[in-house]
Amino acid sequence: MSELAQGWRIARRSVLYETHHPGRLAGVVTQLSTQVFLTWCLWTALYATVSFNAGMDRGQAVTYAVLATLYGRLRGPDRGLARDTVRQHVRTGSIVYWYLRPVDPQRYHWVRAVGDQLYGLAWAAAAYTVCRLIGLVEGPASKTAAGLFLLTLVLGQMVLYYLLALVDVACFWTLNNFGVGAMINLTQNLFAGAIAPLWFFPGWFQTLSSWLPFQSSLHVPLSLYVGRIPPADAGHYVLVQVIWIVLLALVLRRFWRRADRQVVVQGG
Amino acid sequence: MDGPAIEARRLRKVFTTSVRRPGFVGALRSLVAPERADTVAVEEVSFSVARGELLALLGPNGAGKSTTIKMLAGVLVPSDGEARVAGQVPHLDRKVNARRIGAVFGQRTQLWWDLPAVESFTMLRDIFKIEQEAYRTRLEELDGLLELASFWQRRPRQMSLGQRVRCDLAAALLHDPPIIFLDEPTIGMDAVAKEQVREFIRYQVEQRSRTVILTTHDMAEVARLARRVLLVNEGRVVYDGGLAELQKEYGSGWKVRVTFATGEVPPGIPGPGEKVGDAHVFAGVDPTAKRELMRSLLDRDDVTDLETHGDDLEDIMAAVYRKRAAVTA
Repeated sequence: MSELAQGWRIARRSVLYETHHPGRLAGVVTQLSTQVFLTWCLWTALYATVSFNAGMDRGQAVTYAVLATLYGRLRGPDRGLARDTVRQHVRTGSIVYWYLRPVDPQRYHWVRAVGDQLYGLAWAAAAYTVCRLIGLVEGPASKTAAGLFLLTLVLGQMVLYYLLALVDVACFWTLNNFGVGAMINLTQNLFAGAIAPLWFFPGWFQTLSSWLPFQSSLHVPLSLYVGRIPPADAGHYVLVQVIWIVLLALVLRRFWRRADRQVVVQGG
Repeated sequence: MDGPAIEARRLRKVFTTSVRRPGFVGALRSLVAPERADTVAVEEVSFSVARGELLALLGPNGAGKSTTIKMLAGVLVPSDGEARVAGQVPHLDRKVNARRIGAVFGQRTQLWWDLPAVESFTMLRDIFKIEQEAYRTRLEELDGLLELASFWQRRPRQMSLGQRVRCDLAAALLHDPPIIFLDEPTIGMDAVAKEQVREFIRYQVEQRSRTVILTTHDMAEVARLARRVLLVNEGRVVYDGGLAELQKEYGSGWKVRVTFATGEVPPGIPGPGEKVGDAHVFAGVDPTAKRELMRSLLDRDDVTDLETHGDDLEDIMAAVYRKRAAVTA
C-alpha cells in the first residue's frame, strides 16, 4: 500500500463521525440552513436602502456573506464531540498511542485534517449548489475569478490548517489550549472576514489584517469570487498566501519536532 | 536475531516541571519567572527480557513502572542510559519500533471513542498497512480468543470496561508484534473478565512466543502468569529474579486462619490471633511456633474451619521494600 493510498484510507474516515450519528447529520443541516437564511436576510436588509457600499453592490455583499457562512463548514465534523482532538488526547494521555504507530504524529494530524476538510468541502459544495439554485448567491464574477477563487481557497485552507495545527501542538506544553483556541477562533473569524466582509472595516483595520495570515483563508478567495479583488491583483495575494504557508509550515515542523522529543504522557 | 528481546541499561528519566507558587501574586510570578523542579521518575534501571518471556514489572504507585514501559516503547526519550527493543533504540525510529511492539495502557484506550470498535480495527489495519487477508485471519483469531464479535459494532463509550480492554488488546495485536507492553491491563475489571484476559496473555506467551512486560497491582495475576518479577520502588530496581525465589527469600512467614465454634479463641491456644470476620488469623515467622499451634488446633473438636498458607505476594513485596529501605537507610 503506497503512502498516498494509506493517507486516503485514513483521511476518508472523517465522514464516519457524522454518518454514524444521524442526529448529528440532521443537526448540521438545520444549523447550516438556518445560518445561511439569517445571513441572507441580514445582508439583504442592510442593502435595502443603499445599492452600493464599501465597494460592493448588494449581490456581491450577500454572496460574500453567505459563502462566508458556508466556509465555516469547511473545517469538517466536530472532533470535540468525538473526543478526538489533540487537546483531549493530551489531557487523557491517549496521545501515547500516536507514538506507537508507524505514522508520524505530524503526518497523521495532517491526513486527518485533510479528511475533515474534504468532508467539509463536500457539505459546502452541496450547500453552495442549493444556494445557487434558489438564487441566494451569485455566480463567480468571471471564469478567471472562479479559477483564482479555487486556487486561493485551497491555499487559504492550508494557511488555516497550519494556524490551527499550531494551536493543537501547543497543547504538548500548555496541556489545555481551550483559551488559546477560543482566542484564535475569534481572531480568525474577525480578521478573515467571517463575521463581516473586511471591506466594511476601517482602513487601519484592513491594513492590520493584511499583515496577518487570517485574511488569506477566507477574505481573499471570496473577494476574488465576487470580483471585489480584480484578477489582475491576484498575484500579490497568492504570493502572500504562499509566504504564509511556508513560514507557518516551518514553525509547525519545528514545534512538532520539539513536541516529539519532550512528549509527556499525563496520568502515569 | 540473537540477544534479548528487551534490554534496559542504566535507564534514567527526569521530568522537569514548573512549580506554581501559591496565591494570586505567586501565580503571576510563576507566569513571569517560572520556577523549575526536577523529578526523577526512573533511576539507573537495568534489566533484560528474553524472547518469549513474560516479565512482571511491579511496584507501588509512582514507582516508575509506566515511565519505564514508555521509554521501552519509544514514547519517552530517556534522560540517560539506553533502551533496546529487538536490538534497536526505540525512540530513534519510532515508526520501525511501532511494528515490533504492541501496547495496552489499561486506563486509556487507543480505540476511536465515537466509532464502532470494528472501525478502529480497520483504521489500524490501514495505519499498519496490514494486508486484507492477514487482517482477516488475525481478527478471526483474536475474536476466537477474546469473543469480540458480539460487541465490536459498539462504540467504546458504550462498552463495559472488560469489553473495551479486550478490544484494546485486539487492537494492540492486529499487526502481530513479537513484543507486547501491558500496563495494568486488568485494572478495574471483574473476576470473569480478568480471567479471560489472563488466559489471553498466557496464550500469547506460551503459544505465540511473544515477549511480554506486564505491570499490575493484582498479585493473583502475577502468581498466575509470571515466573520472573522485577520490583521497582522510587525509580530503582529492588529485586529482579524468579517469583519462586522471591517467595523463598522474603516470604518466610506463615498464616493460619481458624474458625472456632464459640467464635472466641479458647484457652490453651498459643497467641491471641487477629479477629477477621468469624475467623481468627495467627501469623508468625518461626516454624516451631506454627507446628505447636497446629498440634493444639488439630486435637480440638470446636475448630470448625482451618486454613494454612504462606505469605501473600503483597506481604512479600512489602517485606522486600522494608528490607531494602533498611539497607539503604
